[in-house]
Amino acid sequence: MFQLTDIPRILPEILLIVLALLVLGSDIFERWSNDAASQRERSRSAASLTIFGLVMIFVIVLLQSGYVYKLPEDAPVNFFTNIVRNLQSGGPVGDPILGVFATDHLTVIARLTLIAAALLTALLTLDFRPIGHPAEFYALLLSSTAGMGLMAAANELILAYLAVELTSIPLYIMAGYFRAETKSSEAGMKYFLFGALSSGILLYGMSLTYGFVANAFNASISANNLTQFDTIARAAFLSDDGRGMLILGMIFIIAGLGYKVAVVPFHGWSPDVYQGAPTPVTAFVSTASKAAGFFLLYRVLVTAFPGLNGSLESFDELSGWTTLLALLTLLTLIVGNLAALPQNNAKRLLAYSSIAQAGFILLALLAWASPLPIDREMGASALIYYLIVYTVTNIGAFGALAVVSMAVGGDELSDLNGLARRNLGLTVLFTVSVLSLAGIPPLAGFFAKFYVFMAAWQAGATWLVIIALVTTIISLYYYLRFLKAMFITAPADDTPIATPLGMNATLIVTTVLLLVLGIFPNLILSVIDQVQAVAGAGF
Amino acid sequence: MHLFDISPDVPWLSLTWLSTLIPCLLIMVVPSTQRELIRWIGAGFSILSLILSLILFFAYDPLQGGFQFVERLPWMPQLGINYILGADGITLPMLVLNGFIISTGALMSWNIENRLKEYWVLLLLLTTGVYGVFVSLDLFLFFVFYELAVLPMYLLIGVWGSTRKEYGAMKLTMFLMAGSALSIIGLLAIYFGSGLRTFDMPLLAENVVFSRQFQIIFFPPLFIGFAVLAGMFPFHTWSPTGHVAAPTAVSMLHAGVLMKLGAYGCLRAAMWLMPDGAQQWLPIIAVMTIFNVVYGATIAMAQRDFKFIIGYSSVSHMGLVVMALAAGNQIGLTGAVLQMFAHGIMTGLFFAVVGRMIYERTHTRQLPELGGMARVMPFAAYMFILGGLSSMGMPGFAGFWAEFSIFIGVWERYPLIAIIAAISIPITGAYILRAVYQVFFDEVKDPEFLKLPKLTWQEYTGGIVLAIILIGVGIYPAILTEMIDVGVTPIVQQLHSAVVAVGP
Repeated sequence: MFQLTDIPRILPEILLIVLALLVLGSDIFERWSNDAASQRERSRSAASLTIFGLVMIFVIVLLQSGYVYKLPEDAPVNFFTNIVRNLQSGGPVGDPILGVFATDHLTVIARLTLIAAALLTALLTLDFRPIGHPAEFYALLLSSTAGMGLMAAANELILAYLAVELTSIPLYIMAGYFRAETKSSEAGMKYFLFGALSSGILLYGMSLTYGFVANAFNASISANNLTQFDTIARAAFLSDDGRGMLILGMIFIIAGLGYKVAVVPFHGWSPDVYQGAPTPVTAFVSTASKAAGFFLLYRVLVTAFPGLNGSLESFDELSGWTTLLALLTLLTLIVGNLAALPQNNAKRLLAYSSIAQAGFILLALLAWASPLPIDREMGASALIYYLIVYTVTNIGAFGALAVVSMAVGGDELSDLNGLARRNLGLTVLFTVSVLSLAGIPPLAGFFAKFYVFMAAWQAGATWLVIIALVTTIISLYYYLRFLKAMFITAPADDTPIATPLGMNATLIVTTVLLLVLGIFPNLILSVIDQVQAVAGAGF
Repeated sequence: MHLFDISPDVPWLSLTWLSTLIPCLLIMVVPSTQRELIRWIGAGFSILSLILSLILFFAYDPLQGGFQFVERLPWMPQLGINYILGADGITLPMLVLNGFIISTGALMSWNIENRLKEYWVLLLLLTTGVYGVFVSLDLFLFFVFYELAVLPMYLLIGVWGSTRKEYGAMKLTMFLMAGSALSIIGLLAIYFGSGLRTFDMPLLAENVVFSRQFQIIFFPPLFIGFAVLAGMFPFHTWSPTGHVAAPTAVSMLHAGVLMKLGAYGCLRAAMWLMPDGAQQWLPIIAVMTIFNVVYGATIAMAQRDFKFIIGYSSVSHMGLVVMALAAGNQIGLTGAVLQMFAHGIMTGLFFAVVGRMIYERTHTRQLPELGGMARVMPFAAYMFILGGLSSMGMPGFAGFWAEFSIFIGVWERYPLIAIIAAISIPITGAYILRAVYQVFFDEVKDPEFLKLPKLTWQEYTGGIVLAIILIGVGIYPAILTEMIDVGVTPIVQQLHSAVVAVGP
């Protein structure tokens, strides 16, 4: 039964949708005219409202989570404590709502990450090129963020599918938002076609899984929870009949989500889309959308297919999803890193680097090959830590690139030449992001990589860790090309570049986060460690 | 040398590495027009770090031995990662060496005008990493500092270097990062293989005995990972290219201290924690180092570029260090650490003369184009000859005691290798004397050379300081050996017990 007290638990998503409508509605009161000044004004007011709203929502979710401040039991009763108490009653506790909507630590951490990503993206767009229909753009951004929140929380197949669509469809439109540019339209179209295909695959996997579950229980259980993740796990535990179908379903689900997170061999769309889309949108797609995909993938695999985890010992036959993921990791690491080497377009290079990064993230999921809870806990923490760090880093990198491409008018590597002489501050911020992607201490990217290596090594994927280390060295080469262009090569012209305020804010926030999270990972590790208690896992 | 006591409440070792990190932040906020101020901040804090190292050096009590001035703070205790610092008889000479090299290197950087602010920030960041590696006792922390010491090098060489600088910078960084990736394999293996889930080195060394099989598999990645930085054959090719391309102070730091970081990592992490594996692999490593020592010296003989000669001589001398490590006995290890110190100072002096005093003025380093420099700048000639004598192992210089102990140590274990390696001694003499003759005493090739600007006070000071140490240690080596002896004893004991367990 859905109860009134469940409303605080879905408050963040409700607020995001409300904010989206508010942004759309308030646009009516702006000055509609075709001259540049009023267009800019409209853009800015929609962006400001979005940013303001997202900051509020972020604070609310943070308050709700109780990670920073937990209201003591014996707090006096007054107006403010009542608000906090009501909010925190919707915190990371309790069974999934109706069995389908989990609000555990995973969801809350995911919400914080994704909302922060949306906020940083909105800040990036504040001074980006003015766009037509700005309100719609921000409404799409917000509804996509709401969809991502649902993805992280979904504990049931149908909701998961709807959340994926709610996330993706706005992103297709946003990728093609510069309609006048062929590249942008191409990106939007390509993204849409690939996305539609992957949705089909995902849905097909879900239907196979559903068939297996329905068959296993043979209608002996009330039929309305057959799509819940924990029910799938129970069915797999009870029945061996038609297990092949379940495995096939699982493979299709992994493939469908593999498109969303762009792992090889499902990565074909991402370089083109990343290159063609407006740079802030690229920042959002490459981080939030990917992170949300991983959150969902993690929950599905851990709660719906815990018995099919398989092992990394034998490769004679497919023994479970860790074996499959090990194969995908191998491909992703090698293809992603090698394909990045010859790129000359900075945006495309970063696109391949994000593919390679997905390979490192997959390493963390391999921890489930080990039967020991302590190893799996390490895998879970490593996964979440990596996702958070990756989100921050990539937004920083694409954000800095957005500044450059706006000022110089291109995003080739050669457009970065001599940036250190044109804007040293911006260069330092860019360098920090790039080095964090490369995994250089003391930046957060280093500990993230080290942590997933630890998790995968302990799970028995020693050989894969060694390959990952080799690819890290390869990746260093192309990351150093950024440094070379920015610091060593002489610029074509010496005119200084200014960083607009909103973008500067984003870059400074990401840089500070990378340093702080890298030097003091325990600030968030203590929170992340609670993720292990995924709602409904182990049924 | 226990001269005085220092308060145990002061985090001396943290202060040491912070003393070069703080000026980084300071310089960032100083406007770049204040050029002289930036230089003084950089040099001042470098000298401060030297003073701190010297205080620690003279406060260490060798009779008590072991790690002193230990600091412990929890960092990520749930993962067994902690902030643990400590200094022993191996660490302290290295700290002092780093202090001297960065202080004189700072003086030699006075003429850098181009993008001054970035230069000093990166140079000091590099030094911070080096200090951090020497003082950290937690493997993870060790590694963090290690990479911090490697990366600034890319930009320092790429921006302020000369002669194929982009190639040299990229090659150096890729080699060293590949080395560090190798050592990560060893690190992870130790972490999980010990069953303790900790990176605490003293704890691991004292309480864990890894199985023989395990050590044989994981000793090579850990050792070679660090040995790449020490310039071990066949992973040495980055080093001459890098040294030649780097600006003077960076060459000094790099050949003087950074390569020692590699040897230090081999000794501290690989040999201390995996003595069984060491016993198994050291003979093979000893054979490899013959190439370093003899081949490095021979190649140096064939070079025409003055900096390449020094670069290959570094390969040769660092080969002696690794060879002595491979001997694995008390006198060999003592000689290795002493050689690390002596070679550091000596190479610092060489690069100061070649890079700063000569190349910055003549803009050529080709031996046939130089000549008569003794007439133009006699001071540079004295300094180079002093360094050269130490390099040849002349008694009365620090290099003599180091090479003497090394050869005794190696002879004890591998007499044949010692004999072959001894060939390098006459070759070293030959290439040093050839360089001395062609650069300093041949007739002046270019009359322009006679009008070269005078040496500055910074160059005089830096050169004199390094020369005094070289002679001082040569006259009274016990100031270092007494301490080093105490420092290497636990490692020798570990290695010895491994031999006893395995049999001869």
